[in-house]
Amino acid sequence: MADLSKVGTEYTPIVWEVERGKIREFAKAIGDFNPIYLDREAAVKAGYKDTPAPPTFLTVPMMWCGKMPDFINDLKINFMMVLHGEEEYEYYREIYPGDVITGTPKVTKMEEKTSKSGSKMDMITLEVLYINQKGEEVAKARSLLVERK
Amino acid sequence: MIQEKYFEDINVGDTVIELVKGPLQKLQLVMYAGASGDFNPLHTDDDFAKAVGMKDGVIAHGMFIMGCVGQAVTDWVPKKRLKRYGVRFAGMSKPGSTITISGTVTDKRVSDGENIVTCAVVAKDEQGDVKVSGSFDAALPGKA
Repeated sequence: MADLSKVGTEYTPIVWEVERGKIREFAKAIGDFNPIYLDREAAVKAGYKDTPAPPTFLTVPMMWCGKMPDFINDLKINFMMVLHGEEEYEYYREIYPGDVITGTPKVTKMEEKTSKSGSKMDMITLEVLYINQKGEEVAKARSLLVERK
Repeated sequence: MIQEKYFEDINVGDTVIELVKGPLQKLQLVMYAGASGDFNPLHTDDDFAKAVGMKDGVIAHGMFIMGCVGQAVTDWVPKKRLKRYGVRFAGMSKPGSTITISGTVTDKRVSDGENIVTCAVVAKDEQGDVKVSGSFDAALPGKA
């Protein structure tokens, strides 16, 4: 059962260097062959500085940093009972190859809810605000984790 | 190149997205695991998936389907116009499924000097079961 007193907890930042090859690999894995993600020249022609990160790219630093199990342990969530309920991104600036982005994960909301069928679950919202090497905010990721009890 | 969309040309109720993905292949899930760093074996290892109750084996990463919807979004509106994109994960997707993604304009407004268009998006399989549903906001240029 999630420890609801942990709301407001901030974790050590995720630091991630964005590579052009990773952006291309990620787009291709989705099957997204939009040339702006694959080819620098095409991206520049379309008005970008370089190949921009696709809309869901911020899952890459989150998953590759390997910290999700630590968050889940710290929040006392049962790993076998947790579902990814929702994911949302707000975009402030493009993320480009060569950027070094730093994301600070924060638990912004924890609440117990009762489903229509009467079963209880804990809803945990984790927000990560990412800034680039210039200190500019680039995006915010918001994940809703649902722990069935 | 993705054509620029103009605020004046977009109306509430317009269908803006139509993309069919699939049939989903297990190989794609392996590629997505490596690309994203999500190595939960539920998505790549049939034996593991069956052991945790998935009778047909592996299921797709929810984020993979969100990525497919994201592909549809930036096929319609240039990436640089996208301000927000969020989904709710509603159902599991299996290899062999064909996913149909669609989107409709639900709101348009001027907010803080920006021309914002909000669209609802949904991804369904061939049975019509919803896999992800959500929405996005785009800030569009005006013609003036």
